[in-house]
Amino acid sequence: MKSFLSNEDKMALALLALTALLIFASGWISPSLGSWNQVRSTLVLSTFVMLVGFGQQTVMLTGGLDLSVPAIVTLGAVALFSWVGADPAALTWGIPAVLGLCATIGAINGVFVALLRVPPFIMTLAMGMIVASALLGITGGSPRGEAAPAVAFLFTGEWLGLPPVVYLMAGFTALALLWQRHSGFGRMVYAVGTSAEAARIAGLPVARVTVLCYAISGASAGAAGILYVGFSGGATLDTGTDILIPVIAAVVVGGTSIMGGRGSFLGVVGGALLLTTFSIMITAIGMSAGWRAVINGGVILIALLTLQENIRAWGASKLRAFGSKRCLGVIGSATTVKRKTS
Amino acid sequence: MMEHVRTSTLKQIGLASLTALALAASGLAQAQQAQPQKKYKIYLSMFVSGGGWITAASNSIKALAATPPYDKTVELIEVISGPEPQKQIAAYESMIAAGADGIITLPGSFTALNRTIKKGCDKGVVFFTFGLTVSERCAYQVQAITNGFGENGGQLMANLTKGKATILANHAFPGGGADKRHFDGFLDAIKKYPEMKVVARTWGNAADEKSQAEAAKALAAHPTIDAVFTQPGELGIIKAFQAVGKDKLPIVIGEGGNGFRLALADPEMRKKGLNGVSSGGTPAEAAFGFKLMMEVLTKQRTMPFRQVAYPLPWVTADDVKICTGDRPKDGCNTYPKDKVPDTFFVSIMDRPDLLPELSLTAVLEGKPTPGATIQKITWPLEQQPPSPGVNCEKCTAPKDQFKVTKVKAFDAK
Repeated sequence: MKSFLSNEDKMALALLALTALLIFASGWISPSLGSWNQVRSTLVLSTFVMLVGFGQQTVMLTGGLDLSVPAIVTLGAVALFSWVGADPAALTWGIPAVLGLCATIGAINGVFVALLRVPPFIMTLAMGMIVASALLGITGGSPRGEAAPAVAFLFTGEWLGLPPVVYLMAGFTALALLWQRHSGFGRMVYAVGTSAEAARIAGLPVARVTVLCYAISGASAGAAGILYVGFSGGATLDTGTDILIPVIAAVVVGGTSIMGGRGSFLGVVGGALLLTTFSIMITAIGMSAGWRAVINGGVILIALLTLQENIRAWGASKLRAFGSKRCLGVIGSATTVKRKTS
Repeated sequence: MMEHVRTSTLKQIGLASLTALALAASGLAQAQQAQPQKKYKIYLSMFVSGGGWITAASNSIKALAATPPYDKTVELIEVISGPEPQKQIAAYESMIAAGADGIITLPGSFTALNRTIKKGCDKGVVFFTFGLTVSERCAYQVQAITNGFGENGGQLMANLTKGKATILANHAFPGGGADKRHFDGFLDAIKKYPEMKVVARTWGNAADEKSQAEAAKALAAHPTIDAVFTQPGELGIIKAFQAVGKDKLPIVIGEGGNGFRLALADPEMRKKGLNGVSSGGTPAEAAFGFKLMMEVLTKQRTMPFRQVAYPLPWVTADDVKICTGDRPKDGCNTYPKDKVPDTFFVSIMDRPDLLPELSLTAVLEGKPTPGATIQKITWPLEQQPPSPGVNCEKCTAPKDQFKVTKVKAFDAK
């Protein structure tokens, strides 16, 4: 019987369960951990990684990689903070304009990757440098502006004990999953990532799909930048600097294949929540920055190793073998007992 | 007759010679006048760019280099090399090869740049560092690092909390002598108060967003935190407290961000308990270093020592005073939100007596203050005490290196 849940879904659920277990068990590190406060912080802090992770995963599903996201996150934040400002009326055109600008930069990445065959990491790395340098030149180093109260409300407001951004992210997750699984474009993304050549022979617009995937990544990064303005009430040229590694880690830990064609956004959500929980626990321990980085790296490495499909399959086969041995042993001893009694 | 003729001929020859000499002298003078004044080739070498501190430092140097008389005598070239020391080494090498007279620099490494700096010094290049330090002794250094941000901040925190606090320490970047010096000083000040404990340490990369995210994690684990010792990122820390819906805001010992000072002056935030001081390092070190360097190059000054201690900024919550104009006047030390971004490192303006050439135009845009001319430094320079890992490698710090100078202990007898 075909399972209702795909392998990626099962992995995502396992990650979510592991996250819940960690939050519950983290009380022994600090008495305050395991509280609702921690759940709330985890959900809020993982929002940015999830959002950028959606775009990164979309690109990875085609077999690509987007290293320009830190710069585009910063662009989104600076554009909203400095060029749109706090006027509620300006937000109605400002947010779509910022998303459009970021999507356009992503699309340029896609054009160079899909049509000019520039390797994705070179193209996106170069684009990241260009955007970051342009922002430095335009802003003079210190962006000036005002944070829109409506965007800040996403983090400062509260509904049923959680800020609105958490509900926004939940809605986004549902839509993203529907898009990935049930839309024609979503299926084309998986097809292109599985085999671009086969997709081309099947008549799929491979180049267009690739360009759009990079545009989605740009827009997602821009959206995260907009949220950062709400979170911190401003924007600096460092806004997106540290997001790349957590995003790639969350996407890969969440079960997305770096070769493309396989992965679910639910996995990215699980990966982001798991890594944020680890991060909070490591902060709670209060160790020095060096050891903290070692543990962070170790956690990601262990997660990647244990979540590799072949290693999981190997583990499952060992478990089965161990189980059947025990079964055989039980059957064997039962037979012996039976013989003795007879 | 013949004598008369000889005499008159001699006179004529003499007159002609004098005329020729006069003409030659006048020609020489004209030639000298036509010759352009010596232009000093000065390089500004940064290992990173962006951010409130670095932007203010860079802009202030650019503004001073364009302020008379340096507008005619200084050619300033800014080079941002990138965070890897080898890139800054390559940049220094190029500058030395290009005939630099002086290099003023935010160095990216305490030791890795030494050999190149020494090579430059040997070739007559004058090196000045600000912000961070190098251990090469030939470089001049201008910093406030050894002036007691940590110990004075720690004592003020003890005073404001009556010696009882649950503390978050938010560092800028992992490693580094300045960071260690600040934190050691802070720990030294609070060690006599057993009820003051650092329960969490975070690294906020001197940025508000990162500091806010890290503080949020620390608050999830330690919701009882009520005091913070932090390097740049103070405003992010305060926002992290607000984001978790805490009614009580902490005591914050922080640095020189304008947004932080505005928060310290905000009556609503003060009612919720926000208090503290804006202190720490200041980009004024860069501007002051540039002025000193030019005085050395133009032989207006002989330096009695190479490590100059820049005065520590110290603006408590009660001392915050909002400026109305573009220049610090009547003791004002903070600018309204509509004039500067929150990240603006306003402590650069704290000493108009040392840097009267600076205005908002200068620090925000890197342009000279209208009507300003460079003023000679008359302030008696103070020497940095030896501080291992900060301004020397194999040296011994004085026994009173963590002496509190800015505040009196609340429990002092």
